[in-house]
Amino acid sequence: MAEWFAGYCSWLCDCYASFNGWLYGLQKEFTTAFIVDDRWKYILKGVQNTLILTFYALILGVVLGVIVAAIRTSYDKQYREMKNPIAKFFLWIGNAISKIYLTVIRGTPVMVQILIIFFIIMASSRDKMLCAVIAFGINSGAYVAEIVRAGIMSIDAGQNEAGRSLGLNYMQTMWFIILPQAFKNILPSLANEFIVLLKETSIAGYVGVTDLTRAGNQIRSVTYQDFMPLLAVALIYLVLVMFFTWLVGLLERRLRKNER
Amino acid sequence: MSANYIISVRGLKKHYNRGKIKALNGVDLDVKKGEVIVIIGPSGCGKSTLLRSLNLLEQPTEGQIFLENVDITDRNTNINLHRRKVGMVFQHFNLFPNMTILKNMTLAPIQLKKVKKAEAEKKALELLRVVGLEDRANAYPSQLSGGQKQRVAIVRALCMEPDVMLFDEPTSALDPEMVGEVLDVMKKLAREGMTMLVVTHEMGFAREVADRVIFMDEGTILEEGTPADIFSQPQHERTKAFLNKVL
Ligand SMILES: Nc1ncnc2c1ncn2[C@@H]1O[C@H](COP(=O)(O)OP(=O)(O)O)[C@@H](O)[C@H]1O
Ligand SMILES: [Mg+2]
Repeated sequence: MAEWFAGYCSWLCDCYASFNGWLYGLQKEFTTAFIVDDRWKYILKGVQNTLILTFYALILGVVLGVIVAAIRTSYDKQYREMKNPIAKFFLWIGNAISKIYLTVIRGTPVMVQILIIFFIIMASSRDKMLCAVIAFGINSGAYVAEIVRAGIMSIDAGQNEAGRSLGLNYMQTMWFIILPQAFKNILPSLANEFIVLLKETSIAGYVGVTDLTRAGNQIRSVTYQDFMPLLAVALIYLVLVMFFTWLVGLLERRLRKNER
Repeated sequence: MSANYIISVRGLKKHYNRGKIKALNGVDLDVKKGEVIVIIGPSGCGKSTLLRSLNLLEQPTEGQIFLENVDITDRNTNINLHRRKVGMVFQHFNLFPNMTILKNMTLAPIQLKKVKKAEAEKKALELLRVVGLEDRANAYPSQLSGGQKQRVAIVRALCMEPDVMLFDEPTSALDPEMVGEVLDVMKKLAREGMTMLVVTHEMGFAREVADRVIFMDEGTILEEGTPADIFSQPQHERTKAFLNKVL
């Protein structure tokens, strides 16, 4: 009996010791990963770059997207009643280019697009961040264009008719009446696109941008430890996404309230 | 075209789906300045299509429309200029929900007639006073009742000082107790000499203010005359049948 008890005690002690050892190991790993040589600064810089990249890429994406959506919807609604043959020709060309753009960008992986832009189209540029912003912006623009187009089409046709019947032309009706209303409808979708883009930028490291993912990799390559850096990177993405999702929810509720 | 007519329609046809649907099938119509015309007819007979063709919200398949002696179906006319002279009131109001009442009314005059903002607002407020809504100038459309919305829609069109007003079932979407307030505004407008084309099922209104009643059927004008003629001695069986249902 006593023998059994002693055995049990020593097993417990072993457990305790190894648990302690594990904790100690973690602590050491944590220290190596983030504290030594101020390596947490990599992570901080990475988060910063990820946010900057996402932000500017989305702005470029929205600008491109609105232009493409405007061309596509005016072609659909306006082309047949246009009279000026030169304007008609340019709209036709614009529409054709937009369609090719949408097809190519949405039909190829974003990774491939980035490599092409970085190593072929902008091979002479030294500014990696700029390349990445342009690559992700062009990619995002294709998705934003369809969001904006859906937003424009969601506005009741009567709004367009009311504007036109007052004598406003197509552009004026779009600008003053349709787009402000459409924008309100698409704001949540745009915010969602921001979240998707935030996660997608994790491949920017492949072309040398030190984003959050690459910051983690840099730490791994000096400490030869995978656990802590990867866990931290994943957690930070998760927290960012959860935070922005919460913001989008807030925004949606605000917009819905204004409708009444 | 005789200068007497503010609108002249000649052989107007509008087909949909490559001719499968003949919404308008040869309409001729002359409207004198200051005339009030009420258009009646069964659902789907082409009343809306006719009205919408008059400011080219629908592109005619065939035929001509003269507005103040200008053929607006001609490829070289600037339709935006002519639409300013034709106000339109829709069944569902179509106010701009993202703007205040005042902004709804002043947007087009400021953009198109280059009127000063203060001047446009002064005029808008005057018109709002006429329809008893000057205290709602800064409200948004969603804060108004249906009848109030439609009164705003009417004065919004009037802000452009049109020569003709088109009404497409202006009271059909309203609760019964609000029909009167909108009809009153329209009667006032008619008495002031506005040229009006009104699609409506309000036969009382037709009797009271219409100079002419037009009965449409299957994309054509089947019969027209004074309200007294049409309502008491309709010539066609279809007119009789229709009036029996609505009177
Ligand atoms: N955009 C359209 N496409 C196809 N058919 C249409 C369209 N608009 C109207 N029509 C058809 O044209 C006919 C006339 O419609 P409308 O002028 O709206 O009739 P009303 O206003 O007298 O009820 C109807 O048969 C309707 O279904
Ligand atoms: Mg109708």
